[in-house]
Amino acid sequence: MALTGVDIFKLLPKTNCKKCGFPTCLAFAMKLAQRQASLDLCPDVSEEAKQKLGEASAPPVMPITLGAGDKAVKTGEETVIFRHDKRFVNPCAFALEMKDTLSEAEINKKIEDVLNSEIDRVGQKLRINAIALVNDSNDAGKFEVVAKIIATKASAVPVILCTSNPQAAEASVKLFADKKPIIYGANPENAEAMANIAKTYKATLGISAKGLDELSDLTEKIKALGVADMVIDSGARKAKEILEHNTLIRRAAIKKNFKPVGYPVITFAQREDSLLDALVATIGVAKYSSIIVLSSIEKWKNVALFTLRQNIYTDPQVPMQVEQKIYKIGEPAPDSPLLITTNFSLTYFIVSGEVENSRMPSYLAVMDCEGLSVLTAWAAGKFTAAKIAQFIKESGVENNIKHRELIIPGYVAILSGAIEDKLEGWKITVGPREANGIPAFLKSKLAAKT
Amino acid sequence: MAFVPPKETYSGKVYAVNIGTAPCEVTFGGENVLPFHAFEGTTPNRPLIAYEVQDIPPTDWPESVQKPYRDVSNDPVSWAKFCQDTLKAKAIALRLIGTHPDRENRSPEDAVKTVKDVLSAINVPLIILGSNHAEKDASILVAVADAAKDKNCIIGKAQEANYKTIAAAAMANNLKMIALSELDINLSKQLNILITQMGFDKERLITDPMCSALGYGLEYTYSVMERIRLAALAQNDATMQPPMLGDVGMYVWKIKETQASEEDVPQWGSVEERGITWEAVTATALLIAGTELLIMRHPKAVEAVEKVIEELI
Amino acid sequence: MLIIGEKLSIIAKRVREAMMKKDKGPIQEIAISQWKAGAGMIDANIGPAEDGGEELMQWMVTTIQEVVPLPICLDTTNYKAIEAGIKVHNNQWGRALINSTSNDPERFPILELAAKYNVQVIGLTVGKGGLPADAEERAAIAAEIMARAMEYGVPIEDLYLDPLVLQIATSQDHALKVIKTIRMFQELNDPPMKTVVGLSNISNGCPKHLRPILNNYFLSLLIYEGLTAAIADPHDVITTVKTIDIILGRTLYAHSYLEM
Repeated sequence: MALTGVDIFKLLPKTNCKKCGFPTCLAFAMKLAQRQASLDLCPDVSEEAKQKLGEASAPPVMPITLGAGDKAVKTGEETVIFRHDKRFVNPCAFALEMKDTLSEAEINKKIEDVLNSEIDRVGQKLRINAIALVNDSNDAGKFEVVAKIIATKASAVPVILCTSNPQAAEASVKLFADKKPIIYGANPENAEAMANIAKTYKATLGISAKGLDELSDLTEKIKALGVADMVIDSGARKAKEILEHNTLIRRAAIKKNFKPVGYPVITFAQREDSLLDALVATIGVAKYSSIIVLSSIEKWKNVALFTLRQNIYTDPQVPMQVEQKIYKIGEPAPDSPLLITTNFSLTYFIVSGEVENSRMPSYLAVMDCEGLSVLTAWAAGKFTAAKIAQFIKESGVENNIKHRELIIPGYVAILSGAIEDKLEGWKITVGPREANGIPAFLKSKLAAKT
Repeated sequence: MAFVPPKETYSGKVYAVNIGTAPCEVTFGGENVLPFHAFEGTTPNRPLIAYEVQDIPPTDWPESVQKPYRDVSNDPVSWAKFCQDTLKAKAIALRLIGTHPDRENRSPEDAVKTVKDVLSAINVPLIILGSNHAEKDASILVAVADAAKDKNCIIGKAQEANYKTIAAAAMANNLKMIALSELDINLSKQLNILITQMGFDKERLITDPMCSALGYGLEYTYSVMERIRLAALAQNDATMQPPMLGDVGMYVWKIKETQASEEDVPQWGSVEERGITWEAVTATALLIAGTELLIMRHPKAVEAVEKVIEELI
Repeated sequence: MLIIGEKLSIIAKRVREAMMKKDKGPIQEIAISQWKAGAGMIDANIGPAEDGGEELMQWMVTTIQEVVPLPICLDTTNYKAIEAGIKVHNNQWGRALINSTSNDPERFPILELAAKYNVQVIGLTVGKGGLPADAEERAAIAAEIMARAMEYGVPIEDLYLDPLVLQIATSQDHALKVIKTIRMFQELNDPPMKTVVGLSNISNGCPKHLRPILNNYFLSLLIYEGLTAAIADPHDVITTVKTIDIILGRTLYAHSYLEM
């Protein structure tokens, strides 16, 4: 069972020396309980405490970092079965499959695709995170040749070396020293050799098992051989099996604290049909895959999968925010209405949806209130007359419209006078309290005007 | 070390809902486990995908999804027949969007004629949808419910503002009904309670917790659906046991990602494939969250989702 | 358990109008009524009060304390209004309480006020953006606020931790998390930390007839877990407070205990 912050606190030196970077031992203990800090930060902790805490603070799903530097990705460390229970922690990584039987031109093209895959979405930089080199040729030499091309041309991109041949693994892993690659392909036949290579080159070992029993045996065996960093594959390939195995693995790790499957899951989603491959990946994103290997990475597919990953891994407690700016709905003209609301994404989606429904082109001013809804933002002092006035002035909307009328949400009707005082020359109109009143409101305004 | 599968059994079960008439009737729902969790319970019916058809030409749909229906979408009857005969649709969802006061403001009589014409032209089950204008839907859906009497159709959507009239009409004509609430699990439960308190049989209800498109609030719909399904199964909450609808097409084909051209946003790639993928990924995510009935638009997206369902069952 | 009377809030129309017109009548009437019903402190919620906040808070504090011998809970996000309120506060009736600081850097300066004027302060366990997911996260934020209070020179005996009650209609799972948090907060220090909740938020958005039911049953569970204070309507909750005190053996039973 996980220890509470107070349990951990009792084991700490209670000196409040701040060497860990936290203001008190209590604050540090709380962070440890959240797994947001590591015990190593405390230089004075006793051996006894270390032992007790080490056991208890090991996360149910081990964190694994793939790659090094800016493009490294952290996976695993999950603590819940459903995202609404708390949150999914480390977004899954997408990897592009690259067979070593491809021509050099094809390999170069794929490398280019990976390097150019980055997209910016709602302020986050999203990309294909890794290359999965597959030893389809069964030839260690060929594998090494392609690995060299990747190491040269995509030196910053994390790699997964997929081979069950220890010679091939060793020859190619050398090319990625200190870059935390994954060697995927440890099975009952080669476990010892692969474990030795992983240990020697500080690589993560990918377990390739046939079924959940074999998987549990293998991880235990390899752990005993001294390898701590693993990613696991139960052999599931069909969507049905992926869903079943991933669900059972996640439940066993979290609810039963069953350590042999407490590692990030790698899912091979490749299909001949690229769209189907995206849909199998969709299942992986939603249901517990930490690394997903794709057969191809067209731009239209990437943007959909990146968006899905972002949606599923959004923290349900942190309101999703939209960018502060003046949004155009339809094709507004200088005399179109101007409405204002906060940047809580759900508020934005609903308000903009209702403005769309009204079929009246409009400007919608969305103000940064840290993602709070209208009433909460007002109560927290983030959606106040002075702040609204400042936003409207700085937004430049005055250049786009010829009128000076701002429609505010009915919930903050109380602000209308104060905004008029602070926003000289403007008329403040109180809109409906609920968004579903917007179409009728806008229409009656239009009718009144004509 | 032996792996002991931590299986879950639940006390609750999702109602199986049967629509249409022989020989083309279809059943969805009926499972007593989370979606596609056949390894720990029973999942007797496959999720159903209905093709969306409208009473007026889809001029507001993006080009890529207008195109497959170019030759048929001028007329709801030929459009519906095309979906049934050429695309092998297992069900049709007829949206009477032309009745919306801001569209063509078509009358209940117009709507009744459209529904009758479509019903007599197809054999597969029909879902009849209003325009989501609460007030207008009340009069339209009452009229069409009568026209669809005993055809075992679904009508909807009943909302908090109009459920009484619509539920009464659905009951009188032996129809199934969709109950829509706005992305709030508690309001969804409340609406189902109010509807059943009228004497409406809860086993004839379909819950629509409100769809959202990928990138536009999908995570809210996803989690509301997962929570509804868990309430149905783990808490055996009868009010949350009707199957759920994902009205995917309508939400997906209005956002920027399904419309912006590749020239405008080169990093997003082909607009056509992007739109199809957007619809298929949204639908697949909702299937995983618990929806048993999908309404979709693009034939290629439907085809892909059918393939992934095939792999999941 | 301390009841902090919640009825003098700008959210209520009658109170808002009285504040705007500086009409003492309704304010004093409500204050007296809450005091008589069992409030041990009166909350003066003037909202963000961007304009004229200082003057308004001073007017509220003096208006209330003219007629009621109780300390005031100064409830606003406006730093200057709080300071102004403290300056006119009559400490003869007890020390004022500031509502509130939190883990949002914008609210840190509130602790300076608490230290400078030796008043008590509520620490709302939320950070910047986003709500705490569970009891553990709330306790972690509490530990940070406690550490910061000590840095600023506020004795942690003067800090009331507020777990932030959310609406049951939209955030049902948080009700139980808040109950667990109350227990956990107390464990953060010896003697136990003081705790406070904005009680009626639990039933915000619920039908009127359900609100007192939700408020009172929720409060009984919180009192059982050791809650120190609740911002609530004393008329609504006093029976629960007295009865739970009887059940927990904190008050000696007599047939007329409710009248005491």
